[in-house]
Amino acid sequence: MNFSRIKNFFHHLFIPKEENNFRSKLLHFDFLTYYLLIALFFTFLFKKTPLYNILGYATDITIQKLYELTNYERQKYNLPPLNYNEKLSAAAYQKALDMFNKNYWAHFGPNGETPWRFILNSGYQYEYAGENLAKNFLFSQNVVSAWMNSPTHRENILRKEYTDIGLAVVNGSLNGEPTTLVVQMFGKPQENVFALNPIKTQPVIAKEEKNLKPNNIQSNKPQILAKNEKQKKISINSFLFNFNLGFILLLIITLILDFYFANKMGVLNLRFTGKNLAHLIFLGFIMISLFIISRGSII
Amino acid sequence: MIKFFKKEFRKHLFDYLLLLTAGIFFILSLNLFQGERFLEFIILLAFVSFYIVWGTYHHLAIDKFHFKIVLEYIMIGFILLFLLKIIILP
Repeated sequence: MNFSRIKNFFHHLFIPKEENNFRSKLLHFDFLTYYLLIALFFTFLFKKTPLYNILGYATDITIQKLYELTNYERQKYNLPPLNYNEKLSAAAYQKALDMFNKNYWAHFGPNGETPWRFILNSGYQYEYAGENLAKNFLFSQNVVSAWMNSPTHRENILRKEYTDIGLAVVNGSLNGEPTTLVVQMFGKPQENVFALNPIKTQPVIAKEEKNLKPNNIQSNKPQILAKNEKQKKISINSFLFNFNLGFILLLIITLILDFYFANKMGVLNLRFTGKNLAHLIFLGFIMISLFIISRGSII
Repeated sequence: MIKFFKKEFRKHLFDYLLLLTAGIFFILSLNLFQGERFLEFIILLAFVSFYIVWGTYHHLAIDKFHFKIVLEYIMIGFILLFLLKIIILP
């Protein structure tokens, strides 16, 4: 009895029949209105409440994860793991703050600030040094994958001379947009800090640098995540990504079932509804775009 | 079902090719401006708007125009616009 009721309920939701006016209930206007209200609710929830500030903006990008993934990539090539260095991390953090304060997205600042200036200012005397930058990624894995897919960044990660690594994940506003910056700095300390004329290498400079217009910085207080900080925070980005993906898949499945059964019943051309094929094409592109926007840019 | 999709596609070849072309441009533009959140949102908004216009045009062209149909395109478009906006521009 109960099973039959559940079955009928799902039939009503997914399969067109006389009771739902030959259109899957999940595609009816009342349901579309609910979806729209839920989407609006989420939009205002994350906009109007300080939830993002409390829980952290880039909740899925952590220094711990980036550190582990970088060393994992090195281990694949039989390279020794990099040691986490507090001074390099402080330099990475200062570099990110500088980018927010001066509103630029590049290895070199608008006034000619070099990446190694931050390293030296942190008290790290280097023999070799390098820098990788990333912004607006949703997940740590995507950041490291993007770096590994770029020859120059990959070279930095897999450079055998480096022994230390510093990382910073900082949130703020760049060019008026909420931005999450990831700064990765590599180094090898000078063996003899009193040595004259040390050999110093320059950080990686990507081919496509974009200098943004200065000023108009919003005073979003940036934050840094400590290396050993456990991820206690709720992973909002992960939740939103999976929610969106699940919703798109639900709509796709419903549209396919609706189309299949309506076609089978011969009522497809009798209904006054939108074209399922068009909706499916649209949803397909939107689903691809979801994966694209979860990846940011690197230099 | 695939057969029917193919039939539908061939029947309105120009309309569906137009939608597919717009979709490909949408994906290429997103790839080009990856990480630029405001531009990503503008590109998404443009694609959603195009989709609504496409739906209206297509149903006018096949003489099956009704306000409810346009509303369906508007609602599906805006639901996804708002959902993706949370990720692009929180």
